[in-house]
Amino acid sequence: MRWLSRLLHGIGLLAVFLFAVFPFYWMVSSSFKTQTQILASPPIWLFHPTLGNYAQVFADEKVTRAVLSSLIVAVCSTGLSLVLAAPAAYALARYEFRGKADLWFWFISNRFISPIVLALPVYIIARNLHILDTHLVLILVYITFILPIVVWIATDYFRSIPKELEEAARLEGASQFDIFWRIYVPLGAPGLAVSAIFGFIFSWNELLYALVLTRRDVQTAPVVATSFMSGYEIPWGKIMATGTVIVLPVTIFALLVSRQMVRGLTMGATK
Amino acid sequence: MSYLRLQGVEKRFGSVEVIKGVDIEAEKGEFVVFVGPSGCGKSTLLRMVAGLEEVSAGEVFIDGANVTNVEPAKRQVSMVFQSYALFPHMNVRDNIAFGLKMSKTPKPEIDRQVAEAARILQMEALLNRRPRELSGGQRQRVAIGRAIVRHPKLFLFDEPLSNLDAELRAQMRTEIARLHADLGVTMVYVTHDQVEAMTLADRIVVLRAGKVEQIGAPQQLYDHPANTFVAGFIGSPKMNFLAVQAAPAEGASLTLTHPSFPAPVRVARAGGGEGELQLGLRPEQLHFEDGPCRIALKADLCENLGGATLIHAKTAAGETLTLQTAGRRMLKPGEAFSAGFDPAGAYLFAPDGRAL
Repeated sequence: MRWLSRLLHGIGLLAVFLFAVFPFYWMVSSSFKTQTQILASPPIWLFHPTLGNYAQVFADEKVTRAVLSSLIVAVCSTGLSLVLAAPAAYALARYEFRGKADLWFWFISNRFISPIVLALPVYIIARNLHILDTHLVLILVYITFILPIVVWIATDYFRSIPKELEEAARLEGASQFDIFWRIYVPLGAPGLAVSAIFGFIFSWNELLYALVLTRRDVQTAPVVATSFMSGYEIPWGKIMATGTVIVLPVTIFALLVSRQMVRGLTMGATK
Repeated sequence: MSYLRLQGVEKRFGSVEVIKGVDIEAEKGEFVVFVGPSGCGKSTLLRMVAGLEEVSAGEVFIDGANVTNVEPAKRQVSMVFQSYALFPHMNVRDNIAFGLKMSKTPKPEIDRQVAEAARILQMEALLNRRPRELSGGQRQRVAIGRAIVRHPKLFLFDEPLSNLDAELRAQMRTEIARLHADLGVTMVYVTHDQVEAMTLADRIVVLRAGKVEQIGAPQQLYDHPANTFVAGFIGSPKMNFLAVQAAPAEGASLTLTHPSFPAPVRVARAGGGEGELQLGLRPEQLHFEDGPCRIALKADLCENLGGATLIHAKTAAGETLTLQTAGRRMLKPGEAFSAGFDPAGAYLFAPDGRAL
């Protein structure tokens, strides 16, 4: 009965796969359809693809500017978080100091609070600092979300690096910074990459704070995509094409680092 | 003044006292081995010499300088770790060159030093490999190479061979001995293996529970152990101990009796002592059915080593005894026989373990 169990396994896997991939397929295929084809019932499976929606999207300066804004915000917030969090993670992983456990818990507790609770205070602070509707405000706010993620993942990862490597380097005359930069950063790269992906995806997709803190000058891609949903008609083709454009960079980014990511997530198991 | 000196060194982890006042001296060029059972503090002591562990009390001197509060990098010592501690993301060349790069040595000089170390350790062909592409013995060699290039004042080894299989361990042991002879440097070596200690050391430091039991040349420790612990620890198979009754006899000697002695044994001891003492006899000092003094025994188990046989036997008092005889001699369990020995070579220990 081995073939039967394999068949059932296959059917099960296929069902899960379709369930996960279908919305994605629907978005991408709809982006190549006309409005009538999208709204047709029963759905049309075979059609002549049109690039009309994409032409509209790329012609719309709002969308291209929004993608650029999203890119600036995501790259800066992720990059700065890495730069700030990696040394913090090293210290938490390898040094004993007063209040270490409390500090560690503080990083975790940041994520206990529902983001909406802080939206208003953050808005008032940003308004008083006159940084509303700028890249800066989103970068600063996203760092507060991404930094703790990077700190946890990197701390855990750094802890798994054998302590003798640090001791050997110390005896060889390496400075504190040398040890961090030449031993921990390269060996912790998979862990840092994983946390960078999480951070990048978070800021790329974030909608709530982007809606609250920006108006007209700096709108990120998710904000623009939802803004199409107003007025008399919902332009599904354009929304789907925008969605595809938004998803694309993250997908490419994730594929580029996926090997590192798998290694990063399984590191603990092989040690 | 000695090249390496530990003076009244103590180490506490919280309330646990791991090293309880240790004094050790070593001359330049000596091979010093710290040996003892696990948990005796030998690795901690080595790490204090390296500066990786702070000293709770006492002082450490290297080449005349007090380095007690000097950070590890400035002590000019190199260490070979049990786990090798090679940097996995660097190839062999970069691993060996790491310390030289840290000290901002010019590139041509680094290349020359690395080539020299590779030649000494016969690893020229491996320089571009990563540690994970090397066998255990090769990794060990890289770790030694990393230590060599910096020309340190002291080489420290922390159980460097315990991750290798028996054959490779014997081979690396001779290589380390050769390296010491070739370089003429001062080495401090930690092991729990008394064979490594005997074969490598100029000077052995036997440690137990954070205290020095005895310091001396291997042969000195073997021939004149200071107490029952050192007597039992150095030598393989272990020394046999029998609880004997001693009574003073004429001419600065003692008469020893034991339930398994057919006749009392007379040993010369000026120091005297009476009552219950420990008689120590090494397995090779006992002879099967031969010798001036005899012990009646019952065979327990025989181990054939090919060229020799180890006979494990029991005395009438229930003590276990091992004797080594040449050739093959298999006895049945329970078979009675006698072992003879020469009382002149026997060891005697006081009830507190001290050698008499």
